[in-house]
Amino acid sequence: MSAKRLAVHGTLRGMEGRRWRELGFSLGLVALLAWLLNGMGFFEAGRLMQGGVNLVRFAQEMFPPDVRILPTIAGALVETLQMAFAGTLLGFLLSFPLGVLGSRALFPAGVVAVVRFLVAALRTVPSLLWAVLMVIVVGLGPLAGTLALAFYTVGYLAKLYAELFEAIDPEILEAMRGVGAKRRHLIRFVLWPESANAILSQLLFMLEYNVRASTVLGLVGAGGIGFYMQAYLGTMAYSRLTTVLLAVLLLVIGMDALSAWIRRRYLLQP
Amino acid sequence: MTQPLAALRSEETLALSTPAVAVEDLWFAYREGKWILQGVNLQIPAGGFWAIMGPSGAGKTTLMRILAGLLPFPRGQVDLLGHPLQGKPDPALRRMIGYIPQQLGLVRGLTALENVLLGSLARHPGWRTALGFFPRAEIERAIALLELLDLADRADEKVFRLSGGERQRVAIARTLMQDPQLILADEFVSDLDLPRAAQVLAFVHRLARERGLTVILNLHELQLVQEFADHVVILKAGQVVFESPALDLTWPLFREIMEGKR
Ligand SMILES: Nc1ncnc2c1ncn2[C@@H]1O[C@H](COP(=O)(O)OP(=O)(O)OP(=O)(O)O)[C@@H](O)[C@H]1O
Ligand SMILES: [Mg+2]
Repeated sequence: MSAKRLAVHGTLRGMEGRRWRELGFSLGLVALLAWLLNGMGFFEAGRLMQGGVNLVRFAQEMFPPDVRILPTIAGALVETLQMAFAGTLLGFLLSFPLGVLGSRALFPAGVVAVVRFLVAALRTVPSLLWAVLMVIVVGLGPLAGTLALAFYTVGYLAKLYAELFEAIDPEILEAMRGVGAKRRHLIRFVLWPESANAILSQLLFMLEYNVRASTVLGLVGAGGIGFYMQAYLGTMAYSRLTTVLLAVLLLVIGMDALSAWIRRRYLLQP
Repeated sequence: MTQPLAALRSEETLALSTPAVAVEDLWFAYREGKWILQGVNLQIPAGGFWAIMGPSGAGKTTLMRILAGLLPFPRGQVDLLGHPLQGKPDPALRRMIGYIPQQLGLVRGLTALENVLLGSLARHPGWRTALGFFPRAEIERAIALLELLDLADRADEKVFRLSGGERQRVAIARTLMQDPQLILADEFVSDLDLPRAAQVLAFVHRLARERGLTVILNLHELQLVQEFADHVVILKAGQVVFESPALDLTWPLFREIMEGKR
């Protein structure tokens, strides 16, 4: 066999080996899931049955929803939206510069490493835990929720933006350096226009996410509709809870629709 | 009266005899031990219109990037317009060299006019331009250049909406905006069909003659080289294997060199 044929043969053998490994991996994953569920009692028939009965009873108490509380919760709904918008925008304003600082296309490896570590640390804290921390720091209320969402947003957007900026065609950066552009020009005339679409798209995604996240921040006293969720759950006022959940559902659907509209209107044409 | 005139003359001759580009024993490697350029020597006179040819991977782009001051090199000597190039070139030298990369390096999300304006950044490196405010005179100049290149009606179009040939001309306009003395263009007509490429080259050629610019182009097409270049260099595996007036490079000779018989 010639060297070339040998090499082809080797490649084919490698591919077969890979298929077997993939198959083994998939089976292993299913086994792991079964083991985990079993540990939690998923396969105990009696327990599942009881769960079904509980669910039906719960559902009966939830309906019909008690709409008399609507005026009461309206203010909290608005506050939820305000928190989501303010938190997302505040987070965005911090994310853009951090994304720039965290991109190797513009800054030395040392700076990038520090920024990325910081952002990764922000990301490891879930938004509800941020809310608890912020309640401790600034007290109960929507300010805590807004700050919590902002921190959480920075953890994600700064990372995504840094990656966007690193994916920019190096020839463009080189051509810009060739005309004597400084870093500030690269940010204004390359990073922004080359990734504006993706930046806005991810910003919208984050906004959708934060509208959802903001609805539960009230559980820990960080403002918004979550306060009523907790209150009605605690007093077992399930028909009122239903009204709250339906209102939240509408809010989330409305936000997703708005965001879809913005995408169509402004982002689709490249 | 005669004294200054004579002095002026001698200065002129000196300027003419200083090569625009002088490369001496240039070595370069992206990775340790794998030399991409191996002892390149070149003397390109001011006002020359030179073509660099060679097979894919010969190191043509690499040489261009070094001459554009974008890649530091470990060994050898490069003089541009009489100034030695070492490390990062200083801004004054920087702005005299116009570099057009293979894919042009235009910002697709900016308009043609905005892209051309970027060519003036070396003259206005401050914060005003970073915020998007360019002096009126520069804007007028950019528009005049677009008119010169027959692009006036496309000025406010985003670059990603322009055709290949239009983008080419935007890239030329950006380089001219820089007001360079030396233009380095890396295969910048290779995406155009031959008649289009000839048109663009004819334009650059005429402009270079009028303004006394030195031009170095990487080209693939022998026809274009014969028609426009006055001198040709062939690079193979990082070495200059051939150099002559462009018209002396005939098709049989070119094939012979490219196929390695020489
Ligand atoms: N950034 C880089 N890092 C490592 N190696 C590189 C890099 N750029 C180019 N090379 C290698 O250097 C060699 C010369 O590349 P270069 O781009 O200069 O060739 P070229 O003559 O311009 O070829 P082409 O005609 O295909 O454009 C090639 O082997 C290429 O793989
Ligand atoms: Mg090349």
